[in-house]
Amino acid sequence: MDSLITAAASALAAGDPLRALNCVALREDAPALALRGIAMAQLGDLPQAQHLLKRAARVFGPKQPLAHARCVVAQAEIAFVSRELGWPVKELASAQVTLKQNGDALNAVHACHLQARRSLLLGQLDDAERLLGTVDPAPLPPIRRAAHEMILAGIAMQRLRTVPAREALARAREAAHLSRVPALKAEVAAAAQRLETPVARHIIGDHERLILLSDVEVLLASGTLVVDACRRVVRRGKVVIPLASRAVLFALARALAGAWPNDVCRTDLLRAAFQAKRVDESHRARLRVEIGRLRQLLRPLADVQATPQGFALRPRNDVAVNVLAWPVEEEHGAVLAFLADGEAWSSSALALALGISQRTVQRSLDVLAEEGKVQWFGRARARRWTASSVPGFTTIMLLPTLLPGG
Amino acid sequence: MNPTTSPADIIGEFGPYPGNAQVNGVTYDGQVVWWASNKRLNAMDPASGEIVRFLEVPAHAGTAYDGKHLYQVTEGHIHKINPETGDILSTIPAPSADDSSGLAWAEGSLWIGQYEGRKIHQLDPQTGAILRTITSNRMVTGVTWADGDLWHGTWDDDSELRRIDPHSGEVLESLTMPEGIGISGLESDGQDRFFCGGGGSGKVRVVRRPNKKR
Repeated sequence: MDSLITAAASALAAGDPLRALNCVALREDAPALALRGIAMAQLGDLPQAQHLLKRAARVFGPKQPLAHARCVVAQAEIAFVSRELGWPVKELASAQVTLKQNGDALNAVHACHLQARRSLLLGQLDDAERLLGTVDPAPLPPIRRAAHEMILAGIAMQRLRTVPAREALARAREAAHLSRVPALKAEVAAAAQRLETPVARHIIGDHERLILLSDVEVLLASGTLVVDACRRVVRRGKVVIPLASRAVLFALARALAGAWPNDVCRTDLLRAAFQAKRVDESHRARLRVEIGRLRQLLRPLADVQATPQGFALRPRNDVAVNVLAWPVEEEHGAVLAFLADGEAWSSSALALALGISQRTVQRSLDVLAEEGKVQWFGRARARRWTASSVPGFTTIMLLPTLLPGG
Repeated sequence: MNPTTSPADIIGEFGPYPGNAQVNGVTYDGQVVWWASNKRLNAMDPASGEIVRFLEVPAHAGTAYDGKHLYQVTEGHIHKINPETGDILSTIPAPSADDSSGLAWAEGSLWIGQYEGRKIHQLDPQTGAILRTITSNRMVTGVTWADGDLWHGTWDDDSELRRIDPHSGEVLESLTMPEGIGISGLESDGQDRFFCGGGGSGKVRVVRRPNKKR
């Protein structure tokens, strides 16, 4: 290894990308290209970094599989941080195999973590879990161990399992502390904070209170009937009736649940369902039709009973009726309801599912993104949207592990 | 005897369903078509194709219905599920950990297809013990019984629906699917329709069951 490369590598490891660039700025050999790429990534110029690493990978070629594989991992990380999830994951998986076969266990684990994060962000929790299952976090250095635990916590939070989420976050905090990387500590703290922040309002009769994710978990497991306005479903235990794409039916269910155990008069139901200011005979006919539909859909969980004034919700097995709602009444609730399941959606799929125009969906998404409630990745037609509660990619770059001979 | 071969008559197509990219096992309880999509068992109205409710249970392979309970193959096990509550009532081992594909209920037994194994096993629904094995020459996907006939789906390069002799495994009749269209789960409605899972296409297709020619 020549001395300039060594000097550049140690400058990068010490967090001085400019000094590293000074050493190798004009060189076009593969190790220099790789180092320049990593330096540019550290400086925040991701497109340029991507370009340099691609060239480095090409020059290293198949004759230097280890160096080539490290470049692939670095490219993948930059692609994911730039929210380009369309990046070919197959290459990343084969790079992982190459790294493992050539004794670079640490970068092999890193490649595995990158794949798991991508799966988590796409809502593919089983895949993410399977990938993590192949890694034993115990012998890893603190940075990698913290990353591992953060992904585990993300999966648990998506599955609404707050106890394992809390445990994973505690382990992540410990590892982050050992790593002495401030950005990592901050990221763990932010994720832990999410568990202590109210995620919903719980309404039962006249009582209303803000609740945490762990309370939501308890409520959903309690076997009572829950009309969940965050996800726009009616559920009892594992049985779920999706009403996200049936706005009128959901509005009726929500109004009936809000009044339970009392009934709701026809005028109030009409207001809730059709925003009708004045009610005429045609509205009443439509209400009868919609109540009939709702009754049919809710049949496994509840009856919708006619009363002299209107209608009342009568859950089967005499269970209580609860309402879950967003902490703040949400104008774009329908869009958020679809994203609340952790899946990654295209705006066209959302429009299809909601039965509204793609422009309307896009407007909602833009507003929600501005408020930090949703995030996107990918470009143009490949763009996908998720709720911001899904842990995304951080800007923590572990690229110095890629250093030649490292 | 050469089997009669004809193109499958696809008379309906539902999906794909956003958020449910995969259709695995398919079954029918007389009112709704149940289909498995990894995280959920979805109940679909066969008239409109709408998902009217779903159960949050793991649902990775074949699905069956015995008139009262749902059975779902998932990662080496067969769960017996109460369709009213989604509760898993009991669990038996599947004959293989990762090769199980289609599942059917008939004559008090469970019938399970093995994809790579190219086999159909008859299982004791209480213990999971293998009572009998039928060998196929193709990758077996969905399995169903219709009026005493045993049908299964195949899916490797192309895909077809096959009626086989339940004793010898001999192929009696086959319906070939159009190129690029595969069959994952399979279920008959007891009348003249098959419901076919479309795997990664995320679709559920309806295929006309041919009239009996016996």
